[in-house]
Amino acid sequence: MQIEIQQIAPVFLEQEKISGSEIWNQLIAFQKGEYVQLIAPSGSGKTSFIHFLYGLRKDFSGNIFFNNKSLKTISSTQLSSIRAAKLSVVFQDLRLFTNHTAYENIFVKHQLQPFHPKNKIEEMAERLGIQNKLQQAAGKCSYGEQQRIAIIRALQQPFDFIVLDEPFSHLDEDNSKKAMQLIEEETQKRNAGIILADLEQVSFFNAQKILNL
Amino acid sequence: MALSFKNIAPFLITNQNKSSRWFSYLGLGIGVLLLLCSVQLYININQLMKERNPKKTNYDFISITKRITNDNMGQDHSFTLAEIEALKSQKFITNATPLIANKFIVSATGGQTLPFSTDIFLEAIDNDFIDTIPPSFIWKEGDNLVPIIVSSDYLELYNTVFAPSRDLPQISESTVGALMVQLECTGIFGTKIFKGNIVALSDRINSVIVPKNFLEWANRNIANLPSGNASRVYIKTADANNVDFLNYLQSKNYQVNKDKTRFGRVKQVLQAVVSGLGIFSILVILLAMMLFSFYLQLMIAKSKHNLQLLLTLGYSPQWLSNTVAKKWIPVYIAIIASALLTTALLQYFFQQSFLKGRDDLSPIVHWIVIAIAVLLAILCAAINHRLIKRLLYKL
Repeated sequence: MQIEIQQIAPVFLEQEKISGSEIWNQLIAFQKGEYVQLIAPSGSGKTSFIHFLYGLRKDFSGNIFFNNKSLKTISSTQLSSIRAAKLSVVFQDLRLFTNHTAYENIFVKHQLQPFHPKNKIEEMAERLGIQNKLQQAAGKCSYGEQQRIAIIRALQQPFDFIVLDEPFSHLDEDNSKKAMQLIEEETQKRNAGIILADLEQVSFFNAQKILNL
Repeated sequence: MALSFKNIAPFLITNQNKSSRWFSYLGLGIGVLLLLCSVQLYININQLMKERNPKKTNYDFISITKRITNDNMGQDHSFTLAEIEALKSQKFITNATPLIANKFIVSATGGQTLPFSTDIFLEAIDNDFIDTIPPSFIWKEGDNLVPIIVSSDYLELYNTVFAPSRDLPQISESTVGALMVQLECTGIFGTKIFKGNIVALSDRINSVIVPKNFLEWANRNIANLPSGNASRVYIKTADANNVDFLNYLQSKNYQVNKDKTRFGRVKQVLQAVVSGLGIFSILVILLAMMLFSFYLQLMIAKSKHNLQLLLTLGYSPQWLSNTVAKKWIPVYIAIIASALLTTALLQYFFQQSFLKGRDDLSPIVHWIVIAIAVLLAILCAAINHRLIKRLLYKL
């Protein structure tokens, strides 16, 4: 799958923030297998961009195409199948079922379209150091643990792109590196691309392209 | 692994407001049971009343007269041509014809086989209105033999009351045609004697019927009178129990043979009661469906956050609505099947208790009842699926 962005800009964002951007009002194509980092200071519309890309919001001008299909006219069923098999995401606000266990949060994604066998969940949790938290309610986990749950959840499905919105904001460097390594391994298995948005450049992410929002 | 409701059940808050869910199940069960029972009762009434209904063709034939009261005794109670035309113009009356009567004295003598003599009356009506017309029921001027059709009730009265009291022989329906009676017709132009032969018995017309042309001839040539207006009119109607028809006759103060419409009236009342029960049961079903829809709305509202998240994770709204809706299909089927089974048991016990050994009523529920049950199950499933789909797509 190829993602093509054609002159998109949030309808609510000030003109001066749009004019200096390397993303807003630009023509950009993200190719499968490509690693891209978006550097976005606070208030530049980073999360909005992720939401536009994931089809959660449509309050933007311009257009986004998935394999030449406009995101603005795509059906809800088609969008669901893209989310289930082509585009994975780690939201900045994580979006976990806080009353359900970490395992349930991961498994609900796994069962939709599994990429790995079920036991891979425990293996990933162990690598990221949350194996003891799997049976704990996600809401009771620390924010850093919740971030790792969200990362493991995003890695359960097949995808062509994984979109990460400040995925390591509450992780120390060691845990961030472990998580990044796991993400890159899983991405390589799928020959997929990474779009990572953060406030500043992530040193341990081998981005091929850096774009300033 | 195929996904099912089980996979997403933990994320739906279904255990809240349990009482409204159980009340809606109970309401649906009672409503469906009432509806199925009332439909079965309606069918039972029709089946049971059919045997007793005087209607033997597609039409009812009913004789009407003008009501004689203390106030109008002695007045003319015959129907004018205009009144007969007015009757014919009513949409519920297919045809109407007068019964013309003799204007002269007629006495009948049985001869040696039936040694009795009695004054009788003769009437004539259009052949279309007579239920049994043999080919011999014709008369032409100069014929001495007059064919007669007699009410089968008269033969019964003769055999059971008249013959034993006079020590006369009883006559069977098959031998009645062999009898010859002498008709002595006396009027202003003197007396004429004819031979009368009972050619048929009628279940429909309660009279002694002769060919119409004979009676018109005899009135003119024996009594020197035109046949004139008739006191009795026969009505051909598709349904003698039609409410409009009965109301019309009542408004005109016409008297109708109540025996012919008695079962119809009972049937009418019963059908009205059962129809009322049917309407009430539909209301109960609607209320139950509403209560269940409130439960569903509440469940979806309470699970809104989780459902939104499932959609965000890639669960399709179509799959979610189908899966959530399907969850309740076995419940509807179980409720409606229980109601159908109860109706079937009630029908069986009713038939066995009151009509055992008779074929008036089947002990098995009618196929229409089963079809309604199936239709209700489909309808319940479709309505709830639509509701869930609407609610989920709105998220």
